Amino acid sequence: MNTQEILETYVESIMQIMTPYGSGTGFVIGDLIVTNSHVVGGLKEVVVSAKELKRTIAKVVYDDPYLDLAFIKCEMKTPQTPLLLATKNVDDGDTIVAVGHPYGLNYTATEGIVSRASRLQDDLEYIQMDAAINPGNSGGPLLNIEGAVVGVNTFIIQNANNLGFALPFFYLKDALDAYKAQSSESIIRCPSCKNLIEEESIQDNYCPECGVKLEVAKQRKKGYTPTGPTKVIEDILSSIEIDVTLSRRSQAAWRIDEGSARIDINYYDNGIIIGDAKLCAIPSEKIDAIYDYMLRENEKLSYLQFSINENSIYLSYLIVDSSLTFDEGKIAIERLIKNANKYDDILIKEYGAIEQKRDEED
Amino acid sequence: MSWLDFFSSRESSCNVSFGRGINADISPKEEELFYSSYEAFEKKNRLDGYEYFFRSLINFSKDVSNENITFSRDEDTLHFTILQGTAKVTGTITKEALYAESNIVKSSSATVALKRYILERNYQFTYSNYFSDGEFIKLKLHQDNIILSPQKIFFPLRELALNADFDKEHIKSEFKDVVIEDISHIQQIDSPDFTQKKEVQIKYDYLMKWIEELEEKVLTLPSNDNSGMQSFLYLNILFKIDYLLSPKFAFYQKLSKKVNEYFSNENGTIEAKNEEMKRYVLSLKEMDFAAFKENFYSAKYTFNPIEKSSYDDVVVFIAESQKKIKWYKNNRYIQIIPTIYNYIAFYSLYNYGMNPLLHELFHILTKVQNSEFFAEMGCEALYDARTQSFMKKSITNRIKKLADDNAQKYKNLILIPEELNFASMNEFCASYYAMLKNLDFEEV
Repeated sequence: MNTQEILETYVESIMQIMTPYGSGTGFVIGDLIVTNSHVVGGLKEVVVSAKELKRTIAKVVYDDPYLDLAFIKCEMKTPQTPLLLATKNVDDGDTIVAVGHPYGLNYTATEGIVSRASRLQDDLEYIQMDAAINPGNSGGPLLNIEGAVVGVNTFIIQNANNLGFALPFFYLKDALDAYKAQSSESIIRCPSCKNLIEEESIQDNYCPECGVKLEVAKQRKKGYTPTGPTKVIEDILSSIEIDVTLSRRSQAAWRIDEGSARIDINYYDNGIIIGDAKLCAIPSEKIDAIYDYMLRENEKLSYLQFSINENSIYLSYLIVDSSLTFDEGKIAIERLIKNANKYDDILIKEYGAIEQKRDEED
Repeated sequence: MSWLDFFSSRESSCNVSFGRGINADISPKEEELFYSSYEAFEKKNRLDGYEYFFRSLINFSKDVSNENITFSRDEDTLHFTILQGTAKVTGTITKEALYAESNIVKSSSATVALKRYILERNYQFTYSNYFSDGEFIKLKLHQDNIILSPQKIFFPLRELALNADFDKEHIKSEFKDVVIEDISHIQQIDSPDFTQKKEVQIKYDYLMKWIEELEEKVLTLPSNDNSGMQSFLYLNILFKIDYLLSPKFAFYQKLSKKVNEYFSNENGTIEAKNEEMKRYVLSLKEMDFAAFKENFYSAKYTFNPIEKSSYDDVVVFIAESQKKIKWYKNNRYIQIIPTIYNYIAFYSLYNYGMNPLLHELFHILTKVQNSEFFAEMGCEALYDARTQSFMKKSITNRIKKLADDNAQKYKNLILIPEELNFASMNEFCASYYAMLKNLDFEEV
C-alpha cells in the first residue's frame, strides 16, 4: 500500500490524545488505545477524539514510564479495518509510515526509511528512522507498507533533521499481554523493578515490590489542579454546565462549541484573558450595512464587543486576570456563549455573512 | 510611579517642546496622591480613590496646573474630562462603575473604509472599543469598580486616551474628507490662542535648510557602495524632524510610516528603501508653508505614548552604532561619522522610552549638535559652529546639575562632565556616548 492508502485504511484507528499539558497521538489495538506515557502526563483521565469519535473523556488504565507506553480505555466502535501488530522486525532501509497529529495537524502521514532497525538507548532498542515526525506525533503508530504496526513513535532528537525513534512492536506486544493478564484497570509499571503494580496497592507513592518512589503514582493521585485565574475560569465554565475537561485545550485555553459558533478562551502570559467567538466571515455584498450593525450593537453590548480580524467577525470578551471575578466573569462568559450563536445566525441570515469552514475536530 | 517616569520638564530659558513626551512637570504631590488613591480604594471609598488618582495625573508648567484633567463631584458621581492631544475623554464614575468615551467622527461621515479600520482596531484593544450611537462614532470604556487600584484604572484610561488621539490623527491624514470631531480644545496655528507661530516658521525654514544640506551631503558620498551611508542620512533627517520639529497630523503619520517601512520591510533592498525615503524627503521639500503649518497645534497631554525601555537596550544600541562608526573610520569614509553621531541621539529619542535623566542627557547632546537651530528657537546655544567652540561651562554645569538633582534617587550615579573631550565635535560626541554607556540607575 502507498502512504495515502495506509492512512485511508487505518484512519479510524488513529486517535488524538489531549491533556492540559499538550496533545499527542494514539492508536487502537483491540479494545485499548495505545500511546506514550509522556503523552498522558501522569493523569488518570485524558480527552480522546477520532474520525468517528467526538471528544470523549477516557481512562488511562496502564501507565508505563519505563517503556514510555500508556493504554487508554473508552467506549468506542471497533474500527472496520483494525490495526494489527507486525509479526516480524523491520530491517535497515525498510519503508515505514508514521501517522499522527504533528503540531495538532490532524491525520498526517509521513513516509520514511528505517535508518537503523535497532538503536540502543539505555537498555531498550528503538527503531531509528528519517520520517519527519514532530511534537504531536508522539504515541502514534509506525507502520510498515502492509499497514502493520512496527512501532510506537516515541521521541525525536530536537533540532536534528528528521531523526525519529519508535519503540519496536515486540515491547508493545509484551506490555499488552502483561496488562491483559491483570484484573485491575489501574496499572502502573514500576520503572525500576519492571513489575506491574495495581494502583490501589501503592502506599505513599512507593513501589510495594522494590520500594522506589513512583512519580507516576504521585502525579495520578495529584491529578490536574488549576489555580488562580485558571481556576476561576474553570469554575465559571463548570457553573454554566460546560464540561471543563472536554473544553480544556491546554492549561490556559478552552474551547466551547455552541450552535454554529465556536468560542475560544485563552489566558495569555501577559495576564490578559480573551474570550473570542470567531463568527462568520464578512459577506461580499452590503458590507457597509454589516459594519453599521456591529457598531450599533457595540453600543448596546456590555462586557462584549464586535471586531474584525483578517476578514472574520469576532465577538469578544477581554479582561485582565487581576480584575477577573467569578460573578462578573460568569455573566460575561455566559453572554459570550449565548450571543455568539445568536449573532452568528443573524449575521449569516440577515446580512449574508459567510459561515466559517472548520477542520474536523480541530 | 514607573509609568510617569517619562515626564520631561520644559527648559526655563526656552519655552518650546521637543519630542513626543509630555513636556510638563509631574505633580509635586504625585506619589502622595497615588498612595492616597490606593488607600481610598482599599477602604472602598471609590470616588475618593478616583479623585486622588486624577489629581496625581495632573501635570504642571511653571507650577501652574495644565488642567489636562478636570473633574467635578456630587454626592455619588464624579464627572471628569481628560485631554490627550486631539482626544477629549469625558466620563462619569459611580460607586459601581466607570464609563468614559471620546468622540471621533460623525457616524454619517464615516466611509466604509473608516468603519473597517475602526472595527479592526477593536480587535487590538484590551479595554476599550468603538461603537456608534447613531450620531457619532466613539471610543468607549466601561469598567466595573469591583476590584480597584490606581494601576487598574491607569491602563484602561491610558489605552482609551492614547488611541482616541492616535486614531483621530490617523483618520485626519488617511481619510481626508472625514472631519474629526470634538477638537475645540486644541489650538491650531490660526487660532488666536496659538502662541508659537514664529517657532513654526523657524521650523519650516530649518526643514528646508536640512533638506538642502542633506542633498549636498549625498553628493559627497562615494559613487558606489554607499547605501549604508545614504540610509544614515535619510533616517537621521526623519528622526531629527520628529524630535526637533515634532509635527503632527498627516506629517507625523507619514513620517512614522516611512520609518516603520524601513525597519520592518525585510524583503526590500537597502537601495530601494533609500530611494523610498529620498522620494519622501523630496516631497517634503515641495511642501509650502501653508501646508506645513497645518501640521502643528498645541494641546494638553496626560499619558505618554512611548513604551518604557530598559537602559540596557539604549547601551546596546550605542555600542552597536559605535562599531559602525569604527568601520567607517577604518575604511576612510569619515564624512558620514558626524551624521551617525547625530543619528544615535535622534534614533534613541524616537525609539526608547527613557527615564527623565537619561532623556535630558540625550537632549543636552542634541542641543550641542544642533546648536544653531536651538538658538533660533530662543534656547541657549551650546556650540558655535562658526568658531567650532563649545560652551564648555554651560554644558558641564547642566550635567552637574542633573547629577546633583538625581543623587538622592540613584545611589551609584557618576557623571563626570570634566572627562568630556571638547577638542572637536566628533571627539565630544564619542566621549559623551562613552559617558552615557556607563551610568548606574540603581535606585536608592
